[in-house]
Formats: sequence, structure tokens, C-alpha cells
Amino acid sequence: MKQRRSDNPKSTGATRSGKGNVVPERFLVSKGTLRFDRFMTQAIQVGGLVVVLAVFGIFAFILSVIWPLFGGAEAAEGDTMFELEASEGAILGLDDWGELPFVTDGGRELVFHPVDGREPFLREAPLPDGAEVSSLRHDPGAQRIVAGFEDGRAGFFEVRYTMEFEEGRDRRVEVELGGEEWFEVAGGPVHAAAYADGGSNKLLAAVHDGGESGARSGLAVVGFHQQRGLLGGGRIEAMPKEELGHLVGGPIAEILIPATADMIFVATDQCELVFLAQDRGEWTVRQRMRMFDNPETRLKTLGFALGDNSIVAGGSGGEVRVFSLFPPEPGEPRTLGLTKEFPGLSDAPVLFAASRRNKTVFIASENELLIGYTTTETVRWRGSVEPGLAALALNGRGSSAAFLDTAGRMRFFEINDPHPEAGMRAFFSPIWYEGFSGPRFSWQSGGATDDFESKLSITPLIVGSLKGTAYAMLFAMPIAILAAIFTAHVLHPSWKRVIKPTMEIMASLPSVVLGFLAAIWLAPLVEYRMPGVFLMMVGIPIVVVVIGYAWSWLPVHLRSRLPTGLELVLLLPVVLGVGWLCWRLGPVVEQWLFVVEMPDGEKVADFTVWWPQWTGLPFSQRNSFVVGFMMGFAVIPIIFTITEDALSNVPPSLLAASRALGATRWQVISTVVLPVASAGVFSAVMIGLGRAVGETMIVVMATGNTAIMDPSNNLIFGSPFGLGSGEFPLAAQWNPFDGMRTLAANIAVELPEAAQGSTHYRTLFLGAFVLFVMTFALNTVAEVLRQRLREKFKLV
Amino acid sequence: MTTSQPEATPTPNSAVGHDPAFIEVERFSFWYGAAQALFDISLEFPERRITAFIGPSGCGKSTLLRNLNRMNDLIDGVRHEGDIRLDGTSLYDPAVEVISLRKRVGMVFQKYNPFPKSIYENIVFPLRVAGRGSRSELDETVERSLRGAALWDEVKDKLHESAYSLSGGQQQRLCIARAIANRPQILLMDEPCAALDPVATLKIEELMMELRKEYTIVIVTHNMQQAGRCSDHTAFFYLGRLIEYAPTLQLFESPAKEQTEAYISGRFS
Repeated sequence: MKQRRSDNPKSTGATRSGKGNVVPERFLVSKGTLRFDRFMTQAIQVGGLVVVLAVFGIFAFILSVIWPLFGGAEAAEGDTMFELEASEGAILGLDDWGELPFVTDGGRELVFHPVDGREPFLREAPLPDGAEVSSLRHDPGAQRIVAGFEDGRAGFFEVRYTMEFEEGRDRRVEVELGGEEWFEVAGGPVHAAAYADGGSNKLLAAVHDGGESGARSGLAVVGFHQQRGLLGGGRIEAMPKEELGHLVGGPIAEILIPATADMIFVATDQCELVFLAQDRGEWTVRQRMRMFDNPETRLKTLGFALGDNSIVAGGSGGEVRVFSLFPPEPGEPRTLGLTKEFPGLSDAPVLFAASRRNKTVFIASENELLIGYTTTETVRWRGSVEPGLAALALNGRGSSAAFLDTAGRMRFFEINDPHPEAGMRAFFSPIWYEGFSGPRFSWQSGGATDDFESKLSITPLIVGSLKGTAYAMLFAMPIAILAAIFTAHVLHPSWKRVIKPTMEIMASLPSVVLGFLAAIWLAPLVEYRMPGVFLMMVGIPIVVVVIGYAWSWLPVHLRSRLPTGLELVLLLPVVLGVGWLCWRLGPVVEQWLFVVEMPDGEKVADFTVWWPQWTGLPFSQRNSFVVGFMMGFAVIPIIFTITEDALSNVPPSLLAASRALGATRWQVISTVVLPVASAGVFSAVMIGLGRAVGETMIVVMATGNTAIMDPSNNLIFGSPFGLGSGEFPLAAQWNPFDGMRTLAANIAVELPEAAQGSTHYRTLFLGAFVLFVMTFALNTVAEVLRQRLREKFKLV
Repeated sequence: MTTSQPEATPTPNSAVGHDPAFIEVERFSFWYGAAQALFDISLEFPERRITAFIGPSGCGKSTLLRNLNRMNDLIDGVRHEGDIRLDGTSLYDPAVEVISLRKRVGMVFQKYNPFPKSIYENIVFPLRVAGRGSRSELDETVERSLRGAALWDEVKDKLHESAYSLSGGQQQRLCIARAIANRPQILLMDEPCAALDPVATLKIEELMMELRKEYTIVIVTHNMQQAGRCSDHTAFFYLGRLIEYAPTLQLFESPAKEQTEAYISGRFS
């Protein structure tokens, strides 16, 4: 000690000041070190902050994308206004672009009012000479005006709007009238006429006084047939005129013909809706139904929503009801049923207009306008109009509405409703879609036709995610945890040095490879060997337990011959043998247990047929079972390595203590190792769960991607429990032999096709957001629980 | 090999708790892999006495102690020659269940190691793993063991609090209470006071004197004073060999071997 003390000043060469407060140089920290230390501290802080900001940034971005989905519609009156002298009952029309509205008062002349400032101009309608118009109807979807005359003729002409692009000028909407066709349909005045062109079939119907039940009880129908070849339409052939008034049996208020031109919907004065359909060339009444519950109610307006599958009816009490076509039972012909009802208007709705883009409908009483979306049964906007509405027309996109007010002026509404089909209801509630026989959760974002009703319920996707995760965890968790226990505390450490890195390599297997294997190899392999797989699932654990039990009864001197942890060597061949035996026995068990009588009386032993017939739930090749198995493979290594680490980190002193107290190997594990390592094991499971929830490629490839919650959709035989659609118990959604579509897979599959900013695009982001929230909530709960466990088994 | 026999010769089949010598070690050698740790050790432990193992670090005293309840079994590549007999039965007899052997030979470790459970659960652990435990038996065991470990008065009001809320000395006494909860025949103590302060050490020593009335105790210690104060017999080990084994007083006052003399007088370490 003495020596050292005397050494100090000499070796450093630092001078001692009079006060003695100079620190020897060798005790000083070099400036470079300090600077580097300060730099690193800053860098780490900045880095951490950037990460936090990035997470919040992603969150904010996703929120900003999905936010507009939950907004309602905005409607504001535009500046343009035309002072007209239009009378009550005038017809208003608007082109697809909303630039060239017309008004006609009686149908002889159409007055066009360009909104771009050109002078109004008048076009003569190509009506037959000398005929007096008795009814007039504008069909904006087909750009057609259907007219009926006092002399019994009816027919139509077209209002053909075209967009002209001329050099040096802005685009301009031009109009041309023509394509007129007139037919002799009735003996007397035509009170209402309807026409539809269904391609090779065309249909014209007219209401006249010639019926047996008095005025307006006659219904004359003329069908047309057109041969269609490669070079376009051929000759149009008129069928004989038919009188259907007797089928209706009463005064007719309104008729509608859908674009398929094979049905007629007739509304009577008594508010009965009569559905006439052609059955082998013969017109029959398929259905009669009352439209309104209150017998006092009178029909005020009737029209199709886009697609002609839903009829919107307005009653005198302010009711607004939607009737849709659907088969009441699978396989039966479609009939109408009340599917939706909007909250009523304060006054009788008299005006109706449907968007030509989506299922938005505009319904107006004299002073009130309601914009509703039929699919989700939601009111997008409602407001009042002064002094009152007399006529209403929409442009193609539904972004602009022209209306005549009772003062005879033409005014405009600008409507901004970019995402009418979205909303909490659409995403999270069962919805009665057109053509479905009941409300249902469904995801089908796009279809082949323009009038497709998008089904944007993300509930089946959430359920799909949970289902895939649950099956994967069911398979992976026990295997991974037991394997980790075995490796950490039973197996000889030299084995552990081989097994652990191997498992970690397994964790880095690309999931697309696993998905490929699942879809191409595993799914077809197990499809017809399910009974064998079951036997293995039951047989192997039972055999292991039995052997373990038998082993414990062996005399000690026999048992002690085998080194600890090497019992596996004895067990492994037995397990493999039993597995092989179960696989072989599968078909035998199938012959014995899973026999089905086919419709032709033949008896077949086939689990894939037996399962749907016995449970009423579908069996598909790419099912949750396969996904659970393969996703399990992706998850097992993760859970295994983390669990193994946690178990290995249990202090040896505790192991020694419990061993010294006479605890057996299993008692050491169950009473000391597992509780002490529980926080780590829990984290391992949660990390595995996170991986499974977000796993994409395996589920994309091996699930069939069916976003279906209600299994009656793909039933082969019908339910043996006598359950109708929508009545399936919740458990049915967990059918292990059915596919699924997860949130992650949905995004992967559909995002490339979604137009940026569209409802579809934003809804996919909503899926991402839900996934984000789910994992966030899961991780938060997990972390809280983990901290509790850590606190409970806190080590010194 | 000098082995003095301070007490009577063993009678193998006498009743539990009354054997003159429970354990006899006969020509025992032990290897960790290729390294030999114990050389041809023979000695016997008298009943209801405290036997202390002393010797410099690495002399094999802990190894021998840990062989008395076969805690060394799990270490890789160990082997032995010779024999250790408990009540005349070899510990290495294939018919001996290690689990039940460890229930007969309790152990207290150098670093106190209570489980991260309540005080109560720590003490009833040996009963629980034995599959015993009516409520009344557990309660009775807890009180008896804690009184036996002179800890009852300090913890009787917080039996269901975490064992980690106790001080170091209390935790070590808790470990002793846990070790005697199942009434073993022999209690092995591997430097039980190494991690404790002098006050706690004193308490443990007093406790040992109490326990001596019921248990045969083997203690490994580095503390010469402790060996002198508490033990009845002392064995001095050096480089894996038993140098001298004699009644403590005799060993400390007039050691037969020069090495012993040198060690206890602190002339080599």
C-alpha cells in the first residue's frame, strides 16, 4: 500500500497546486470518451423517439385512412337556379354528369337547361302524331321515357345523352331524342306504362280501364323476342298481346318491370304487391303480399333500388319500406319479402330516385328529403326543403340532385357521400343482403356487375382470425411447452445443444413454404384419412401415458439402469409404431363408424361425407384443422425457444432445494420450475399468439379464404337439426373442417385490387386497424398479467 | 488413513432415531469426469451429534456432503468407488429410490434458497410432494418446524406472506425449518452461515445446538470457530483426503497430524 501511494504522483506527472485540488491526469476522463458518450446518449434517445413516433405515425395514418368511412353524407344546395313555369306533375330528368337537366310538362316538349350557362333549348319528343299523352314515366337508368296514350297506345323513346369532346373546348354534354317504339296495347287510355329491355327478352306493360274490376284494373302485356347473334341484335319479334288484369284482380296503382324483363310487380290501390312471373311461358301470380301493416295506408311512391332486386315503397303514413327478392328456402324460386325499413318521414313520401352507382335511394315528401342506403338500412342524410318538392332527379354518380320546387323553380343539391356502404352497421352487424334469406355477416367486396351490392362485414374476418389462431395455438401450445420442459429439465444437456438451434432454424422457415406444403401436400393427404389422424391424436397421447404409468410400476433396479432423460429412446419407437398403426387403422374405423347412406341408397364409408350429413356443417379440404397444424409449425419454434429460455433460467438453487426435499422430477417441474418461469412461459405463448394472429401466407394458401360465418351457405345436404339459415349456433363457426379468411389474409389478397381511397381500400385498412387494436389489446393484457406473475414469483 | 472412532460401532438394524451411526462411508472415492475429488474416504457419523467438515476450499468436503443424499447424481460424468451406507443399506443399491433417500436425508444450502411462495407453503413443500397433507397436519407441521427452527415467534403472524419478505438469517432458518418439516433422519448443512451476518450466524448456531437433540447433523464450514463451538466431531479434509477425524476438542487441542495443526492454526490456506 505504501509503495503504491508514493508511486502515484510520479507516474502521472500531474502537478500539485498550492491548494491541492488538481486531479491527477490519469483520473481524468478523456474528452473523446465524454464526447462519444454524449453522442451515443443523444443518438439512442433520438432513435427511441423516432421508433415511438413511427408507431404513432402508422397509427395516425391508418386512422386517417379509415376515418372517412364513418362519416355521413353531406348535402348542400348549389348556386344554380332556373326560374321555370313548370306545373305540378312535371317530369324532371338529369344526365349522368349532372349538366343538362330537362323538364317536360306533358311529354310533348323537353326543355333542356344547360348548367354551363348556355341558353335553354327545346326538343320535340318523337311522339306519334295526334296522340294525347295519358301517362309518362322517366327511367333514368335506361335513359328512356315511357309514355301511354289516350288511344291505347304505349311505348317509349330514348333521351340519349352523349359527352362531346371537341378540340380547344371543354367537354360538353349533348342530347338527342330518338329510338322511339309505339305499340297498340289497350283499347282505352293507358294510365301507367312500364318497359324493360332484358336483352333477348323485352316487355311492355300498360295499365288500362279494360279490366273486370273497374277502372285501372286492366293490365296489358306485350313481350318481344330478339334473336341475338354475333353481329348484334337481330329482328325484334312481338309476341301476342296478353291481358293479365284478372291475375291482379283490382285497380292498379303502379307497375314495375325489372331490367331482366321477366317479371312484373304490380301495386294495387289496396296496397297489395302482386308479383307476376313467367312460368314456362305462362304468366302466373307467384306472390301476393301486403306492403303496409296499417290498412289505412295508401301507396304513394314505388321504385327500384339499383339492380332491380329491391323495391322501395313509400306509404301515406310516411313509411319507407324495402322489399327484396330472395329464395325463402335454398333452391326455391325467389319471392319478395320485407327486408328493411327506414325511419319514417313526417309526411307521405311522394318522390323517389335511385342512384345508378350504388344502393343509395332518395325519398322525399313535400318538405323533407331523406337519403338512405338500402343495404345497411341507414339514413345518410335528411333535411327539409322550402318551399316544397315537386320533382327529383339524380345524376349518374348520385353526387348531384336536381329538383323542382313547388314554386316552379329548378334547383340543385350537391351531395358528397363517398362511402355510403360503410359504417358501424355494415362492418359489425348482420345485414340482410339482397338475395339472402336472412340477415348475415358476409364479406364480398366486389362482384362482376355494376349493380353488385358490396358486403363489407369484417366480423367474419375477425372470427376467422380468432379461429385460425385458436386452432394453431391448440396444436402448438401443448407441444411447444412440453417440448421445452423436456429439453430444459429432463433431457441430457448435450442433446439440448443440438435441439435448440434446430428449433430456431425451424422458426426461420418461410411461411410461404409451410403454406405451400399445407395446401399442396398436407390438405389432400389428410382429406381422406381423417379417421386415421383422429386415431393418432387420441392414440399417441394415451399410449404415452400408459407407458409412463407402466414404467413407474417397474422395480427401481430396472428403472435405474436407464440414464435420466433417455427414457425417450424406449418411448420413441413405440410412439412411431402406434402412429403408423393408427394411420393404417383409420380406414377400418371409417368403415365401422362413418358410414353414410347416399341418396341413391348406396352405403359409403367416407368421413368427408359423413361429417356434413351428421353435423350439418360443411367439410372442405382446406380447413382449420390443416391450418392449425401448419400454423402450429410456424408457432411452435417461437414458443419453444422462449419457453426453454425461461425454464432454463430458473435458479439452480431452487431446483437443488426442491430435489433435496425429495421432490420427483415432475414435482420439481410442476411445483418450482413452472411457477417461477410462468411469466416467461406466458410471454412465449403471447408472442406465439401474436405471430399466429398476424400470420398471413399460411392462411392465404391453406384456408380456402372463405369469409363465411354462417355455414348454411355451403351446405350440401341441409341441416339435420332443422336449423334455418342464420340460426346456427355460435359453435358452428368453430367447425374444424371448414375454411376461414383472416384479417391479414384478406388484406394480402385484396389490397392489390383496391382503388386507393375507395371504400374497399379504406375498409381493408379498417381490417388492419382492427388487427392492430386486437394485437395491441392482447399484448397490453398479456404484459399486465406477465408483470403480475413476475411480481408473484419475484426472485431475490 | 487415520480414522478415530469416537463412539460405538454401528448396529445396522436398530430403530429410526436411535441408531448409533446412521451413515457409514467406506473406502469412498469420487470423480468429476477425469478429476478425482475424493480419495478412499472412510468414516462414520454418530447419532444426535454434530459432525463438522473443515478444510481449505476444494478439499472435497462439500462433495462428500452432497454424496450423502446423492445430490451429485445429476452432474455430468461423475462416478464413484467404494460405498456409503445408510442404516446398513448402500445408497447406490439399485433398489434405493433416490427420492425417498432425500426424504430421509435433509439438506440446508450455503445460500438460503426459499421458494418464491409463502412461508407456509415453503414449509409444507416436502409434505405436498410426498402427497400428504390434511389441513391439520400441515398446520401442525408448520408450527413444529418453525418452532424447531426458532422462527415461530418472528413469523407466526405472517405465515402467508412471501418468504422473500424475511431477512437473510430468517430465510436461512426458514430453509432449516423446511428441511426438518418431514422429520429427516439426518440433516446436512453446507456452510449454512456463509451468507449471513454474525448475529444471524449466532442464531443458527444456537439452533443447531437445539436440533442436535433430535437430529444427526453433518455441517461443512469454513469457520474454524464455528466448528469448535458447535460440533462434537470434526473431520479435516485436505486435497480430497480425510486427514483426521476426531472429537472436536481433541482435534483442536491436540491434533494428531501436522497438516491439521497447520490448518487450524492458520499457517496455510
